[in-house]
Amino acid sequence: MNLQYVPTICPYCGCGCGMYLVLKDGRIVGAEPWKEHPVNEGTNCPKGKNAYKFLYSEDRLQKPLIRENGTFREASWEEALSLVAEKLTGVPPESFGALASGKTTNEEGYLLQKFARVIMGTNNVEYCARFCHSATVAGLLPTVGSGVMETSQVDIEQADCIVIAGVNIKETFPMIARRVLRARRKGATVIVIDPRRTTTASYLADIHLQLQAGTDVALINGMMSAILAEGLENKEFIEKRTAGFDELRAALSAASPEQAAEITGVAAEKIREAAIAYAKAEKGCILYDEGITQHTTGSDNVTALADLALLTGHIGKPGTGVNPMRGQINGEGTGDMGCLNVFYPGFKRVGPESAEFFQNAWGVEHLPTEPGFTYMDIINKCRVIYLVGTNPVMAAPDSTNVKRALDNLDFFVVQDIFLTETAEHADVVLPSACWVEREGIHAWVDRRVQKVNKVIDPPGEAMPDWWIICRLAEKMGYKEKFNYASAAEILEEIRSCVPQYKGITYERLEKKAGGIHWPCPSEDHPGTPTMFVQAFGTPDKLGHFQAVEYKPPAELPDADYPDILTTGRSLFHYHTGTMTRRIDTLNSEVPEAYVEINPEDALRLGIKSGRRITLETRRGRIEVTAKVTERVSQGSIFVPFHFSESCANILTNPALDPKCKMPEFKVCAVKEEV
Amino acid sequence: MKGDTYWAWSSDPAAVDRGECGGAVTSLLKFALESGQADAVLTVKARDGNRYDGIPVLITDPEEVAATAGALHCVSANIARCLKEFLDGASDLKIAVTCKPCDAKAIIELAKRTQINLDNLLLIGLNCTGTMRPVTAQRMMEEEFGVDPLDVVSEDIEDGKLKIRLGDGTEKERDLAELEAKELGRRENCRRCDLNIPTMADIACGKWGAEDRKATFVEVCSERGSEFIDRAVEGEQIKVEQPSAEAQESRRAKDRAATELARQWQEKDFAQFHGMDIEERFAYWFGPSGQFSQCIKCFGCRDACPICYCKDCYLEADRGRVPGGEIPPDVMFPMIRTAHVMDSCVNCGQCQDACPMEIPLARLIFMLNRELAQIFKYEPGMDVNARPPLRTVTDKELSLSGVELVL
Repeated sequence: MNLQYVPTICPYCGCGCGMYLVLKDGRIVGAEPWKEHPVNEGTNCPKGKNAYKFLYSEDRLQKPLIRENGTFREASWEEALSLVAEKLTGVPPESFGALASGKTTNEEGYLLQKFARVIMGTNNVEYCARFCHSATVAGLLPTVGSGVMETSQVDIEQADCIVIAGVNIKETFPMIARRVLRARRKGATVIVIDPRRTTTASYLADIHLQLQAGTDVALINGMMSAILAEGLENKEFIEKRTAGFDELRAALSAASPEQAAEITGVAAEKIREAAIAYAKAEKGCILYDEGITQHTTGSDNVTALADLALLTGHIGKPGTGVNPMRGQINGEGTGDMGCLNVFYPGFKRVGPESAEFFQNAWGVEHLPTEPGFTYMDIINKCRVIYLVGTNPVMAAPDSTNVKRALDNLDFFVVQDIFLTETAEHADVVLPSACWVEREGIHAWVDRRVQKVNKVIDPPGEAMPDWWIICRLAEKMGYKEKFNYASAAEILEEIRSCVPQYKGITYERLEKKAGGIHWPCPSEDHPGTPTMFVQAFGTPDKLGHFQAVEYKPPAELPDADYPDILTTGRSLFHYHTGTMTRRIDTLNSEVPEAYVEINPEDALRLGIKSGRRITLETRRGRIEVTAKVTERVSQGSIFVPFHFSESCANILTNPALDPKCKMPEFKVCAVKEEV
Repeated sequence: MKGDTYWAWSSDPAAVDRGECGGAVTSLLKFALESGQADAVLTVKARDGNRYDGIPVLITDPEEVAATAGALHCVSANIARCLKEFLDGASDLKIAVTCKPCDAKAIIELAKRTQINLDNLLLIGLNCTGTMRPVTAQRMMEEEFGVDPLDVVSEDIEDGKLKIRLGDGTEKERDLAELEAKELGRRENCRRCDLNIPTMADIACGKWGAEDRKATFVEVCSERGSEFIDRAVEGEQIKVEQPSAEAQESRRAKDRAATELARQWQEKDFAQFHGMDIEERFAYWFGPSGQFSQCIKCFGCRDACPICYCKDCYLEADRGRVPGGEIPPDVMFPMIRTAHVMDSCVNCGQCQDACPMEIPLARLIFMLNRELAQIFKYEPGMDVNARPPLRTVTDKELSLSGVELVL
């Protein structure tokens, strides 16, 4: 009998927790603590502990599928790949779109964008980050020069004031909650900004600013005005390292905690108290996620937070910063690899210069120089889509129209591990290997690059995504440009053209539990846990204040739809539920969809917990079980988006932030029917 | 015979040279395999030579034993769980297991619950005065010793000092109490563990009493252990000598000192609670801002705990006892687990290591266990024939008002 404890990193969220997989005669039979891992030190959340179980799920995709006469039939790789190659050949650049994955490796994301740019001649390549941190890029690039997490998560415990804005970290980033708890036990003040009284607000917060949904800019402007009124802005920092302060001060002259209180519904004294606590801190840390970004004013929300950090100088030191929290295992990495309509790999902006750089790097000509479509435009305007490891039918707003658009495509290829709600609409489905069924690197939330090793074989004929893309490229006549015998060879190419990754090798990663933070420009460079220590990423190296004004959400309650709908997540399930809803323990905890509804609203409707009710917005209707709770305020409801039978995104509003095309997942008008 | 003591070292001069204490344990493990007394050896190995990353390994090839030699102080692998969960409780495999006192106690408690077949095990006990958490240890090496953690080739806890040796032979030491005042040093449960010599195993091996010899002091603790040592000597795998009276006394003295220090830590650890009244205590653990309000229901504690073994755990959502999907879970979650295990807690600390929210679980449960131990005169993990209080409820006790047995 052969027993092995093999280390790996959890496949779910952005924390990047280590664990041991226990193998008995080659089969994974359990997950055990890996105590040396610096992020989680031998602890895991319920999802991580049970993660390996989905690998052996009976309904894993094992063979390619081709749609024929309305149903799928199995096919050989040869037949399926030939069909796809045939259908993709000759498709004009503007008609093709690639949708990449927040879960595939860097090597795989890199190949998919290369495929789209070299073979299909288009910059129509996007991934789920459009729906989570496109607002971050729009908000942080002009202000601090880079849209990445600025501190290592491990250093968060050094902060003495932590602002948690629009993120329920107890449920969505448990290991970061661990760090915040440590800080709190040492006396740190924790401020939570969230319209919901989440677990994080209830059990981590000293001050909960429970604002009206979508009023974050007003709140933060109010906080900044309070800081200025007290003279608590960091004058030295502002002087030495920023520009634009006078304009900000002028723009905030009409702002005040009282004015913010009117808009947000949060008491002025509380706003003031929170602002002063943050300003007076030695090390203030802002953590933010979807509650800030997923709005039509998402980029403004982020900008306001950046202003707040620059105003107080809480940036550029370990445990500080204005920190976006990308939630997927490769939410950061797939973007690093250029799966974005306006960025080539390494965040080289799409344009003639970057095209030339990669023409040299890849030995090709005529790379596209115009920005491509963003995610929703790819879905609505392209004719042919190649989609890998993502589930827009469940994750994109206005699901009904997403399905319509996908059914309208001339040809739709989906590459995934299960027949997801999106794959159901495909013409061809290709079975992927995932997680520990292949090797590769990912970049977790704090730019932490770690390696996942192959531990078991994929089921049936499923193959790694990088292999599939290479075979497809080969069939389309591009063998020499996609001639990789292994993921390792792809990483070598990445290192040669993505300077932030130049110093990162498999060898270095194997030796270091916890990985290496990029930028890592050379093999003897230790990596960069803290950003902006000396300089910002802007052309003049300074942080730039940018004043923003409060604008309300696109769709607020009215007579027909009197309540506010917010969507989000639960600890026990992950995003569209593809993996977690196939796991017994997790399903046992949360077996079905629910809507959180305030006791007063429940009373008005005459319902108790457990009652099935219907929710309707201008986009559609769903039926879901009520959960009466004080977590949502009167007039607001909350639905997690994990459940396909009560798909929250049937209801959500596809209205977009004009600056970054981020949909307003967090606010729309809804009515309940009993 | 049980109670016999020896200085022991390997018959193989090369092993004597290589081994920290004369290579006796290594030779004994090899002998167990070669003689067929064990089908496999279960021990802990530094993965890829990393002293901060210890994994259980199952060895069937005697030649692989040598690579696991040497005490690892920065790891605390859950050996008992490995046996129970992944090796079928040794139901059909004879296994020689190296075990610290907590490992051995855990194994015995699991054996009482028919989760481990003690008949198939040869327990090679290892003296222990504590291990350190790997991330803490690495930080300590950098901040307190000023060395690269990877340069350390051995650690030792001796006479109140933490001593390390680097690859180039340099030795450094720091005062253990000073380190532990800063929450560096040993795991919390290790500091208060008053059982350093695992006499509940088949043999107990350690440095105390070896004085300056390159030898291991071996105490025979059972008939099985006695036969095993006799055969090893007959088979010329190890050489043995009678330890001097001074050595015996020295060993006893060190044990007493370590035990005394542990009892002081117990008092320190539990003092804050002894000062609270029942309402304060309840609020501290189970109140709205209590420790358990941070729980995220990962079940890490339950998985790690050697006393927890139920296939259909009472805490799981489908049992209907604790509502599903709630964070923090209903107060019944921590209360039921505590109530189910506290009569038998062996203070292994695996639960506290496993908690993402750093709830001081072992502190609570072992504190309660110490109180119960006094009341029921029951010491967990020592005698496989001693049955835990929860399983020895008498009719008389059941007839007391307010006492119920719920199955």
